[in-house]
Amino acid sequence: MGCPCEFRFHAETEDAFLRAVEACLRETERFEKKYSRYLPDSVTTTINRSAGRTPVPIDRETASLLEYAAVCHEQSDGLFDITSGVFRHVWHRRRKTLPSRREREACIARVGWNKVQRSEGSVYLPLIGMELDFGGVVKEYAADAAALLARNAGIRHGLINLGGDICIVGSQPDGRPWPIGIVHPLHNASAIATVTLVEGALTTSGGYERFVEIEGHRYSHLIDPRTGWPVEGLSSVSVVADQAIVAGSIASIALLQRPADGLDWLERCGAPYLAIDPKLRCYGHLLDHVVDQEKNAKSSVLLKGNRCAPGERSMPK
Amino acid sequence: MKRRSPLAALTISAMSLPAFAATQPVESTVSVGLSNYREADVPQHLVAGGDHRRYDIDIRQFRLLTPIGRKWSLGLDLSQETMSGASPWATVAGPDGEPELIMSGATIDDSRTEASVSAAHYGDDYSVALGLTHSKEDDYEAIAPSLSGEWTFNDDLTTVSMGLSWSSDTIEPTDAARFGRVTREEKRSRSASIGVSQIIDRSSAVYAGFSVTDHAGYLSDPYKLRDVRPDERFEWALGVRYRRFLDFPNAAVHVDYRYYDDDWGIESHTLHTSWYQNVTASFQVVPNVRYYSQSAADFYRPVDDFTLAPDVEQSSDFRLSAYGAFTFGVKGVLQQPEWTVTISADRYLADEKYGLSSGVPHPAQLAFTLASVVFEVKF
Repeated sequence: MGCPCEFRFHAETEDAFLRAVEACLRETERFEKKYSRYLPDSVTTTINRSAGRTPVPIDRETASLLEYAAVCHEQSDGLFDITSGVFRHVWHRRRKTLPSRREREACIARVGWNKVQRSEGSVYLPLIGMELDFGGVVKEYAADAAALLARNAGIRHGLINLGGDICIVGSQPDGRPWPIGIVHPLHNASAIATVTLVEGALTTSGGYERFVEIEGHRYSHLIDPRTGWPVEGLSSVSVVADQAIVAGSIASIALLQRPADGLDWLERCGAPYLAIDPKLRCYGHLLDHVVDQEKNAKSSVLLKGNRCAPGERSMPK
Repeated sequence: MKRRSPLAALTISAMSLPAFAATQPVESTVSVGLSNYREADVPQHLVAGGDHRRYDIDIRQFRLLTPIGRKWSLGLDLSQETMSGASPWATVAGPDGEPELIMSGATIDDSRTEASVSAAHYGDDYSVALGLTHSKEDDYEAIAPSLSGEWTFNDDLTTVSMGLSWSSDTIEPTDAARFGRVTREEKRSRSASIGVSQIIDRSSAVYAGFSVTDHAGYLSDPYKLRDVRPDERFEWALGVRYRRFLDFPNAAVHVDYRYYDDDWGIESHTLHTSWYQNVTASFQVVPNVRYYSQSAADFYRPVDDFTLAPDVEQSSDFRLSAYGAFTFGVKGVLQQPEWTVTISADRYLADEKYGLSSGVPHPAQLAFTLASVVFEVKF
């Protein structure tokens, strides 16, 4: 999946363990092959290559993912847009100067979920140069699918981590919840918080992951599809939900807004979260889990699914 | 209108993704249909004897389609028909030489039950289906296995489909001794088809298909006084279909043409056009017109000739005469996420004057109405 994958399963027999691992690996590879932007025969490449030329028939899974992306687009008032990948062509690492207005406008013209024409069995990108990127949903969905496969293979104690999208299948074998470290936005080797889970999913994403440095300023890789400008938003958002795909899109949408608006969105969603702003102030229901820097002691409470008491929250003025 | 919370909206949408669906109760479809098929009575002055009321058939249908795992589906179809009415028994010359009918004396009451099961396997770019149909009437029994497959390629723009089917039928006419009918006869049919469909652009597609069928055995109508047909029949047909979606009226037009020819001398043309008009996001109206024309079978006779030897081929069945027919229909489809209701009505009118080849007027030329309602539930 272009990221480190981690499967931790406890099974009664070695055979059962290997079967579960194999099923999960096969499923993640299937998603990679099917939706990678880099593979020449993937669904994504076929759709993008046909932009402005012809509609592409799609299977039910792809149609459902597009429908999910449509709901994300609607819920985020257009911020979450799987056609935004086009902006990569102007906001790239080799860039030395800010893109001109003309460059940005040329991109905006080729971006927009509303331009995508869909039917139940096909999708059409009407303009040459338009692109779909399933990156924002597929990794999370693959984690969910792997968790379901593991459960169907008899796994009752397991953890699946696809590059920060984590699904939990039951507690650890001794009954303790799984501790999950949330990466510090500035020191990616250390954890800023530890969340414990016995069920459900946790995803973490942040503007710190990838950025473009132009004229001494760091620009996030997250672009507002309406303006073509990188978003100066929260540094990191972690969300807990029953499904990784839901947690992931709530976090992504939060990151595509100014910090105050992102926090508002997270509150409206009602899923447990931990948000960290550029000044490293922490907010959210998972605040209790933040590592106490002074005592260097970790505190955590057991979270079952997404049922937990709302924690404290302070809004930046 | 209050908006659903984002978490709820996203979760509901996520749950329809196949990975989650696979662990939930699978989505199955059940549909129940009721139809009434009613043939117009034969005009009294064209009936030389018997009952002038023709068939009235009530049809009840049940259909279940359920996925099994991710790669298989199972279908079950049941239908039951109860029919009453009289049918043409013989055609004789009337006082002015025009053909007149002798209808079967009493009303025939019969029922037919048909059951079919099918299993389909879906691969990434292909599907294969196996089916078996069993049909039973008081005097008739048929069993028909079938095999079909579909293969998609060329960036999924092209689909090749193939089908094979067989049918073995047995007829044991009622009152055989009393009317000197055959007591038990059999027939066998085999059919093969191949078709290619091609998506042309985002709003149009074409299909072309070819099929051959051959029948062997007893192909006559045992309920007619004199009906002697060849014991073999070879048919072939070529069909083309075109579908185009029109953005502006938000409608799709379907145009289908079929050419048919057989070694009994019947050649036919069928042109069927439908207009699928989307009225709202959940309501569709489909008016359609179908035109059909055929030439007569070589051994067709407007009037039965009882002077001929009993083994000489002849039939006065109106279905073997030269005629043309129009069907005018309209269908309304109301579609909701969990259920669909379809109501349709068709009117069929046949006449030798509508045909492309000249025909002799047949007193039994058919007119019928077909009305049906189908209710489908997904769960």
